[in-house]
Amino acid sequence: MRKTPERTAQETQLRIANLRALVSAGEPAPRAVLPLGLPAIEGHLPGGGLVLGPPHEIAPEEPGDGTAALAFALALVACRLAAGAGEAMIASAEGQPLPYGHGLSSLGLDPGRVLLMEAGGDGEVFRAFEAALHARCLSALVGLVGEGLPLKTSRRLQLAAEGAEPPLVLVLRPAGPGSPNGAATRWSVASAPGAIDRFGTLRAPRWRARLERCRNGRGGSWLLEWDSAAHRLRLPERVARDAVAAGRAGP
Amino acid sequence: MTRLRRAGLAPEPGPHAVAAAGSGGLRLVALNDEARALGLRPGELLGRVRARVGVPLRIHPSEPAEEFAALLRLCRWASRYTPTVAPFGPAEGCHGLYLDIDGAAHLLGGEEALLDDLSRRLAGSGIPARIALASTPGCAFALARHGRMDGILVPPGEEAGALAGLPVEALRLESGAAEGLRRLGLRTVGDVEALPRSGLGRRFGLAPLLRLDQAHGRRPEPLAPLEESEGFAAARGFIDPIGHQSDVVAAARSLMGEIAPRLERTGLGASALRLTLHRVDGLDRSFDLGLSRPERCAERIAALVRLCLERLGSGLDAGFGFETVTLAVTTAEAMPARQSTFGGSESGDRIATLADILAQRIGRKLVRLAPQGSHQPEQAEASVPWTLPALPYPDHLPARPLVLFARAEAAQDVLAMAPDGPPHRFRWRKEEHRVARAEGPERIAAEWWHRPSQPRDYYRIECEAGLRLWLYRDGPHQSDRPAAWFVHGMFP
Repeated sequence: MRKTPERTAQETQLRIANLRALVSAGEPAPRAVLPLGLPAIEGHLPGGGLVLGPPHEIAPEEPGDGTAALAFALALVACRLAAGAGEAMIASAEGQPLPYGHGLSSLGLDPGRVLLMEAGGDGEVFRAFEAALHARCLSALVGLVGEGLPLKTSRRLQLAAEGAEPPLVLVLRPAGPGSPNGAATRWSVASAPGAIDRFGTLRAPRWRARLERCRNGRGGSWLLEWDSAAHRLRLPERVARDAVAAGRAGP
Repeated sequence: MTRLRRAGLAPEPGPHAVAAAGSGGLRLVALNDEARALGLRPGELLGRVRARVGVPLRIHPSEPAEEFAALLRLCRWASRYTPTVAPFGPAEGCHGLYLDIDGAAHLLGGEEALLDDLSRRLAGSGIPARIALASTPGCAFALARHGRMDGILVPPGEEAGALAGLPVEALRLESGAAEGLRRLGLRTVGDVEALPRSGLGRRFGLAPLLRLDQAHGRRPEPLAPLEESEGFAAARGFIDPIGHQSDVVAAARSLMGEIAPRLERTGLGASALRLTLHRVDGLDRSFDLGLSRPERCAERIAALVRLCLERLGSGLDAGFGFETVTLAVTTAEAMPARQSTFGGSESGDRIATLADILAQRIGRKLVRLAPQGSHQPEQAEASVPWTLPALPYPDHLPARPLVLFARAEAAQDVLAMAPDGPPHRFRWRKEEHRVARAEGPERIAAEWWHRPSQPRDYYRIECEAGLRLWLYRDGPHQSDRPAAWFVHGMFP
């Protein structure tokens, strides 16, 4: 008896489903991610966003871009906090700047949802991270460190983050080549001329974010604009509203 | 008087006195040395004293409750000598205390040494005192109040001799009874003792006989020791000394389990604890545990103890082991009952746990930012403990920098249009910056009511490299001198 075309299609579908189940059985369950709302970037990241739990490393492109890198990290935290309840902790090693509350407020991050810890050194920051990851009470952790994320520490943090609902972990280090570590992504951020409105006043900050390294993903470079009211990152519109700025913002 | 002086309530020199309502009006009850030098005595009528003494006399009202509280404080202090400390009751005049040093004197090297130590310490604290030691409270009281000298030590069995020469008031009788005895010519205790007991009893009742017998030790007089304060402490001894960290943690957990019901009855929670480990060879180790909010959960305390010991690592030298573990609540705070199911914030609890862990393991506190009522950017914010509720930030302010420098950094070689144009070019952190865009000025007036200073004109500028800074000109433009410019913060 001849098989009808519908039946063949059905069988094929079933087979594909079985094969998919077979393939995915060996893989770990997909991890929770922080979607950025930008398909252009999400396509480069595994899972379609910044994976929650393992640390992400953010560094300024030049030593002068420290505030831009901090702002980029806090913008990601704002995205995370906007998605639900919870609080963020910023742990700052000695000598690293602590954010100014009114500035956080201008950036769109509610200072009431941010806890601060002034640590003595990088080691204390990472130990605080580990404690916070075990305690499972915060939805984002930002560490401002003086050296960088060592390989061993990144492993420890990754282990501590295993489990349900891990927070977004961001490590900010100073500009420089950095050491090899287990960070899920490594970003390098530079400040770019801001977006201006038609009256010539600064409307929104812009940063050039370069995804230098991404586990199971591709690198890339984007000019990003932060919308502090909507708590989202945007790619600047391609309308030639400000031709001079667009020209300057290019590579 | 001493209470007033110690509380700093009678700072002026000159005669001071404490007066209380007595028979016939206000009567003096306590005097300082200057007042005594004027010939004043306790018990005199205030009105008569005022008329008699020419110099101004400062009168303080008597506060029996405060005085009793001061006496209780002294009693608590005196419990360093012996656990049995009893404040004087109304019969003794409420201004003194008994110490039962039976079995406690040898700890300080004998009775004389204890008396020495006691009088030295009291004198050191500025508390005038007369001390006597005898086998019965009655005898000790009589000698301390009416004896010829301070620091009398009566050996057992010699009470009668010591008491014989003392006035009848030393028997702690009611004032009417003492007066009556005196009227009969019985001036000393010895006189009363010599009388036949039956007649004395018929004439004056049983009180003088009872007091006589108590003073001579013929009838027991139990002291009413100060009741132990509801201390929140527990101790456990071990026949086999313990040394393992996990054993210490388990001991702390079970001790907290003992303390917790006591705390719960009084509605308190521990906010600071001290764990003391007594080593077999007599060495004590104490650990202080601080909590961010009052707590009586044994598990959490145990977790903190574990952290504390982990942080110490091998620094916890158990030697041959600890034979006693003591856990004491050093600070207790009211702990209102919380309902955790509805509306309770579980994440708040978890953050409290985290804050305690951070404090214990790293020694750092969690803080949060709170807006302050000031227009000066550097004073418009402060770090406060995270347990305080978050205050909303004002949203009407113009944009503020993400990083504010603790000290504004001077910008050199500033080229700006006079009088209030934004800078075009400046040098900062050894680099030349050219301004691409600028907004401003935003004038922030100085808080002249705190200290005189200049108003500041703030500009939000963007350099050609994309750096966004917050600059200000200190004071308005003046034609005779160049303006001072400072970089105060960085925008995202």
